[in-house]
Amino acid sequence: MTFREKIESGKFVVTAEIGPPKGTDIKEMLHHIEALKGKIDAANVTDNQSAVMRISSLAVCQVAREHGLEPILQMTCRDRNRIGLQADLLGASVLGIDTVLCMTGDHVSAGDHKDAKPVYDIESVQLLQVVDGLNNGKDMAGNALQGCTNFFMGAVVTPEANPLKPQMMKFGKKVAAGAKFFQTQAIYDIDKFRDVFMPEARKYPVKIMAGIVVLKSVGMAKFLNNFVPGITVPEDLIEELKAAGKEKALDTGLSIAARHIKRLHDEKICDGVHIMAIGMEDKVPLIMERAGLL
Amino acid sequence: MIITSKKDRDKLLETLNDYDSFFLVGCSECATLCGTGGEPELAELKELLEQSGKKVTGTFRAKTGCQVLGTKTELKPMNVETGGAQAIIVMSCGAGTQAMVEAFPDKPVYPSNDSMFLGNMTRYQMFDERCSLCGECIIDQTGGICPVTACPKGLLNGPCGGTSNGNCEISPDIKCAWVRIYDRLEKIDRLEDMSKIIKPKNWSKSQKPRVLSARPQKEVKEKK
Repeated sequence: MTFREKIESGKFVVTAEIGPPKGTDIKEMLHHIEALKGKIDAANVTDNQSAVMRISSLAVCQVAREHGLEPILQMTCRDRNRIGLQADLLGASVLGIDTVLCMTGDHVSAGDHKDAKPVYDIESVQLLQVVDGLNNGKDMAGNALQGCTNFFMGAVVTPEANPLKPQMMKFGKKVAAGAKFFQTQAIYDIDKFRDVFMPEARKYPVKIMAGIVVLKSVGMAKFLNNFVPGITVPEDLIEELKAAGKEKALDTGLSIAARHIKRLHDEKICDGVHIMAIGMEDKVPLIMERAGLL
Repeated sequence: MIITSKKDRDKLLETLNDYDSFFLVGCSECATLCGTGGEPELAELKELLEQSGKKVTGTFRAKTGCQVLGTKTELKPMNVETGGAQAIIVMSCGAGTQAMVEAFPDKPVYPSNDSMFLGNMTRYQMFDERCSLCGECIIDQTGGICPVTACPKGLLNGPCGGTSNGNCEISPDIKCAWVRIYDRLEKIDRLEDMSKIIKPKNWSKSQKPRVLSARPQKEVKEKK
């Protein structure tokens, strides 16, 4: 079954991330692909994540497919105008990539080419509309396509956005534009996610996958709180990492992730999880085991 | 108005190194308000040049420096001063500088300022950018606040995930454009405007170089 078939059938789906490297040595990436293959339902391939230049998402999606891991093509609007985006979408389609995650993309000022001209010809909501158009045989200018795409469309949302209301209005627009599933920014407060975000999200007929970022250390948790907008690590989790001590912090972080996933699954809070292990993709199966999903 | 800032004076002097005598042109409009091309700045640059052993044949503050014909007319009585200068230095914006390029076809013309943006003056000599001159105004749909300009990503359909306590992730000193738009739409009881998807912009409207004749076609033809 494909990722699309699984999520539509109501299976609790698990995705992780493949971060393309900067450079042509893909040994470590292939190791991650092998570790995830057969364990997760699909892997996002990030698109110049954090505006840092790397191998293109499209190329790595194809590598993942060749190695038996279903890819989700992440597409941002930062680096390509509407012509480039549509051309790559058609290209992805003929390669057999059929799930696309549409996002606006981090600003170039966050990345390693700060002098670059950011494109943003269109943005996430409009990109979803563009993909919907390609699925229906029309390009953005209204020209007929010789053969159309059949993309399953996803988008992202930040449940901890502050304020939340404007974020949820945009969420509604993304649904209207054709998004069928959402992967969220990292969440750590499961009660709040269940009680504040999910009731709003459940007003729409879309699948929600909770974002899980594995905490590696106390320092990382504090960094997320201080420098990453839209992510809040509660104090009690930081205390738990502290109590574990430096050597066991990572293992505790893996257990926290597993515990959260188990709750989200067992209490049927959402439809799946998206695990961002940030360089430790080979640890994802271990997290799934501890969560009782493998 | 067009916001300008002074070029680094050492670099400017380096650029002007090939010449010994200059005529300085300021502007009474934007550059005066920006403190880059009014009387005090004309005097300041004159003094700086003279201290560096250069000659200043005259200074002149145009009424509206980007107005090509008017400025040429204003300059006519200053033939001696302009004629005696090897080069012209323009202390206004890029438009004013190029008006002088047209007025002095045989002389090198140098800008003393960098042109920054179309700005609003918030307090004395404090400016911010609210309009990008995109050629197709959409603020009727966004509560009168332009997201093309106020959002670093120019998002047209709501905030990105980087909103932090209502501030922008790119520059935490500024408020998120879409939080501002949301708050304003709520205040004027038009929040429903925000649930409508705004279509991709027609960037051909801002294709350079733009020209416009606001005169009735007939009048233009007759004058020709």
